[in-house]
Amino acid sequence: MARWAMILNHFQTMVIFGLAVSLAFAFLSKKSTSERVRYAVWAFLAFLLVAIGIGWLMYPFSR
Amino acid sequence: MAQPQKNPINPALALVAAAAGWFVPGLGHALLRKWSKAIVYFFAVVMLALIGLWMRGNVFSSNAADAFDMLGFLADIGSGIFYFLAGTINPAGADVSRASGDYGTRLFATAGVLNLLCVLEVLQIGFGSKEEWHAGP
Repeated sequence: MARWAMILNHFQTMVIFGLAVSLAFAFLSKKSTSERVRYAVWAFLAFLLVAIGIGWLMYPFSR
Repeated sequence: MAQPQKNPINPALALVAAAAGWFVPGLGHALLRKWSKAIVYFFAVVMLALIGLWMRGNVFSSNAADAFDMLGFLADIGSGIFYFLAGTINPAGADVSRASGDYGTRLFATAGVLNLLCVLEVLQIGFGSKEEWHAGP
């Protein structure tokens, strides 16, 4: 049997995580379609921006 | 105009739906006829679980060595059928010597926790403690 592994970098993994979780949270917490769309987009962007921001904050301590 | 209402369902059906929703993500909502939620939860959990396993993430077993392993097991078992099929989906097993495998471990745990949240919502809807839109999905 083929032994392979999907190789994704940190950013790609973060995008997949953000997409799935923000969509699920939108459906868990909001009732109307427009609310869900707004919440999913907001949460997805917040996931990405906060992670990138924290990454840059930690950058000076990485070396 | 659609009105929010509490719509209690047979408690036995709620429990069956919760168990089904744990085993197959989204099935619990499908049994309660919440079609759009069922589809979204199914694809969200399946995507996270499959990619996590394909990235050769670690799947924690029930014989945990410490509290963190036990937490990992509780998160992983939440993904239902994917926990039991992990060895079939990824026969090569876990490889956390690379960063990709470590990311996969987190994605698979996220799939489990997300599915557990969905199971809790099935129970809330089933027992009528969550308002649902009458005309909505």
